Order: sequence, then C-alpha cells, then structure tokens
Amino acid sequence: MLVEEVMHRGVVTVEVDVTLADAYQILRDGGFRHLPVTENGELVGVVTDRDLRLATSRLADHPFAPGARVDDVMTRPVETTRPRDPLELAARTMRDRRIGCLPVVEGTTLVGIVTVTDLVDAFLAVTGVRRPSGRLELRLKGKTDEFAALTRILAELDISIASILTSQEPDGRSRLILRLETIDLHHVSERLCAEGFEIIWPPPLACQS
Amino acid sequence: MPVLIYGPEYQRYDLGARHPFSPSRAEMTLDLIRELGLDVEMLEPEAATTDELCRFHDPDYVAAVGALSGGDSVENPERFGLGTADNPVVRGMDEGARQFVGGTLTGSRLILNEEEARVLQLGGGLHHAARSNASGFCIYNDLVIAINELVDAGKHVAYLDIDAHHCDGVQRAFYTSEYVMTISFHESPEFLFPGTGWVHELGRGMGRGHHLNIPLEPFTGGGSYLDVFDRVVGRALAWFRPDVLVVQAGADGHEADPLADLMLISSDYEQLYRRIVELADQYASGRLLVTLGGGYAFDAVARVWAMLALVLWDQPIPERVPEPWRRKWEPVLGRDGSATMHDPPIEPSAKRDEVAIHNRQTVGYLFDAVAGLWL
Repeated sequence: MLVEEVMHRGVVTVEVDVTLADAYQILRDGGFRHLPVTENGELVGVVTDRDLRLATSRLADHPFAPGARVDDVMTRPVETTRPRDPLELAARTMRDRRIGCLPVVEGTTLVGIVTVTDLVDAFLAVTGVRRPSGRLELRLKGKTDEFAALTRILAELDISIASILTSQEPDGRSRLILRLETIDLHHVSERLCAEGFEIIWPPPLACQS
Repeated sequence: MPVLIYGPEYQRYDLGARHPFSPSRAEMTLDLIRELGLDVEMLEPEAATTDELCRFHDPDYVAAVGALSGGDSVENPERFGLGTADNPVVRGMDEGARQFVGGTLTGSRLILNEEEARVLQLGGGLHHAARSNASGFCIYNDLVIAINELVDAGKHVAYLDIDAHHCDGVQRAFYTSEYVMTISFHESPEFLFPGTGWVHELGRGMGRGHHLNIPLEPFTGGGSYLDVFDRVVGRALAWFRPDVLVVQAGADGHEADPLADLMLISSDYEQLYRRIVELADQYASGRLLVTLGGGYAFDAVARVWAMLALVLWDQPIPERVPEPWRRKWEPVLGRDGSATMHDPPIEPSAKRDEVAIHNRQTVGYLFDAVAGLWL
C-alpha cells in the first residue's frame, strides 16, 4: 500500500501568524488534531491540538496567551513523506520520530496528510476483516515449499483469500493468519491438518495427525 | 392455526451433493413433522419476480445469477461472490433462490393481510446475501425483501437471528433504519465467518441503537445462551414495540454442527422456541414469521426444526423419533439417527463458568452502550 492510497487530500493549513485560539477553533470545528503551518504558502511546521493545549495550559512554566502566533509553538522543521512512498516507510518514520502525522509533499507542494488513524485503517484493510470471512491461524515450519502446498489446497477447495498475515517466531517458525472467504472454516482446517499443517484455530476435531 | 410455507421447488436450491446447505434438511424436517402426526396447513409459494428481487438487489447481480443459473457464462463471476466454494455456480440456483424469497415474502403478506399470525417458512433465512453479491451459501436475501414488505406497509419489525453466524446482510440493509430492529446471537466474530457482529455495531443515523449484537464465546452451551437471551430480547422488544417479529431460526448452534461451536442441544432449542413464541405474543400481538437458516448436522436439525413446528402449533413433543422416518433417512445420514427427539445431556465444558461470565459481560457492555440511545 502506498501513502497516496490512504492519505487525506485537501488539507486544512494555517499561516504562521494565525493565533493559537484561532488554530484551536479550526481543529475543533474540523474534528481533527493535526494542522500543517505554512509561510507564504510553503510548509514550515505542524501544530497539534496537544501542542496548543500544553502551550496554553495554566500548568505550563510559561503559558502562552491565546493570542500568540502558531509559529511560537509549532514543531519545525517538519518530517514529511511522499505520495509514492510505501506506507510502511511512513509508519516507521512516525514511530521512530514519535509523531502522529506526516504531511505528504510532492516537490514543494503539500498534497495530503497521513495520520496514525489512517495507519490503523490501513491495518484493518490489510487484515481482511472488512470482508465477510473467517479467521484461520496456523504455524509453518519455515520450509520454502509449505506456502505453495497451502495455496494449492485452497485453490483446490475454491476458496478465496481475503488476507494473509505472517509473523516470525523466535525459533524460525512462522505464524500465519489467513482470512478466508468461506463460512465452512472447519472443513478447511480438517483438510489442512490431514495434509500435515499445524492448525492453531479452529481446532481440527476429526484430524488425528 | 399457523401456516407452513414450503414447496417442492425448494429442492432446487441445491448447491451440490457435497455442499452443507442441502435441501434435504428441510425435506427431512417436513417428513418428520408429518410422521409425528402434526396436521399442518401447507402453502406453496410463487417464485419472487425480478421486480421483487430488485427492491433490494442490484439488477446487474440478479441478471448475473440468472445467466449463470441458465448455463450462460458471466465474466469474472467472483465479483458477485459466485463460483466460490461457498457459492458455486449451479444450474437452477436462480429458480431455487427465487422460491425462498417468494416463500418468505408470502409469509409477510399473510401477516399483513391478517390471514395468519404465525407463519413457519420451511426454507430461506439467507441472511448473508448482500445487495450485489452472494455470500456464505446465500444468493438472494429473502429476509430483507420480506421485512421491506412489512416496513413499506408501515410496520415496525423486530428481527431476531439465532443462527450461529452473524446476520451481516440483514443488519447492513437496515443499519440506518429506525423501523427495523435487528437482534443477533452468534458465535464470536473473532474467528467465525463473517467477522462482523460486534457489540459496538449499533446502527447509524436514525438506526442507532436499533441493532443489537451478542457475540458469544465458542463452547457457550445452553445454560449461558438462554441466560443472555433472557437478559436481552424481552428488554429490547419492550423498548422497540414491534408490530411483527421475524426470526431466522438457523440451528447451527447445535453441538453436532460441523461449522460452529456453540454447543446447544435439542432441549436448549425447545426452550428457545418457547421463549420466541411467548415474546411474539407479548410484544408483537402474536405476529411471528419464522424462517430456517444454517444448520448442517442433518439428524439434529431435522429433529430441532420439527420441534420448532410442534411448538409453533402448540403441540407436545413426543419422545420417540418414528421408526419409518429413521429407516427412510438413515441412508442419507450415512449412520444411525437419534432414536429420541431429544439429545442426551452433554458434558459441560471445563470453561463453562468462565464462558458464562464473559457472555454476561458482553450483555453488560451492550446495555451500557444502548442506555443513552434508548431514552
């Protein structure tokens, strides 16, 4: 998945001289948390609702007045991503830098924004839970031909795969979570078990292997 | 007296010899009802017309089902959910599916015309079918079309679904409607198809608070099932005050079912059916339309659904399964069927208490969520 597939276009921005109070009102009215800041139309920073609340809090050492400018409290310079970047790269940048959004730029033009919420939505899409399907979980030994054997059986059974996720276990084996577009998951589970796969869920009751 | 809707044409909803959703299930049930001596008035429905189908379904989808059913090819049938393991392309499937829709629709019309209050549709209940695709053995959504018929006549409809799978097709069709309440008890979508039916799915817009989902733990068993059923349904119907109660009575929650793991036995189903009749009498002036649904342990579903008929007709449940019926159907079962209508009690799951607490918590979350919406 690429950044441009999940990003929001038509981003609301403010100029550097907008007041904290006005910026906060824009966030509240729009129902979002991240506001890119521009200077003469060029992206120079990001201000979040948290930045605004912390800056103006009575608990702050030197609270800002509601009439202060956003460039007094914004984060700069700003991390960005590009529309054709893979989403995992954007996710990694956000985690490594501990930030909640990335403005998306093409050349010097701001074309969108991607936030942590968009990453959660993308994760849901990748897991296949948005399509009618059942969840089959199994463990692979780590041999190169296992996957081919697995998909051959699913093809024989005429079963579409909504999603495949894998994660490595410390011993080199891997966990595989499949979302399959079938109501009869037990049938698949029994068959895979009979062919020597280690099934975690649903339990293959009739299989003795 | 209630009426039973069934036609020999229902046999055309046959998705193949090895497919679980076998038309033999209804045939075995009807045969058992007769062997048990229940005198039922039977009504054969007309097949639904294309216009009736298109009151819910996308015309392109209906055309594709018709073409494939007649032996014509359609490019990429998978985009309509067809040609898959669950919904293979089968000759005559369009006619069979139209029969089911016609049957359930007939039930709605009987109730609307006040010819019957209690109707048993011995087929249908295809709750997964979506506007433009087949899903989970379901081609046309007879329930949505029949409920629309009631709603269009100004009725408020409560829909109760006791199939082991979530009624995603029905819920989605009425998700923003204030005229239809859906209540679904099903095995947790964490693992089981279709993956929806969480407590937080409460409806949108005017429909918010009208959609209740009770996802149950695997191996729930009858005790906990009836416990949560009693905590939810009466309270919901008392608030919603429906004119009609429509029930999808899938029996795949049975402990012998090969697709699900809810571990109910026949006496649990009997209790459930008695409650459903009482709820319809108490909250819907007795107006009750019941369809079949999932249920893939043939011997169990025939006995359980025969019990459903006996309860609807206010008849006692005999203890013995008639010998001629057993002899006739044992070749289909491939083994001996139960000699008694009721199953023997089963060993309770080791996790029984844990499961019961969890299910009760689920009901707690549900009522916390709807409390503010039911003012």
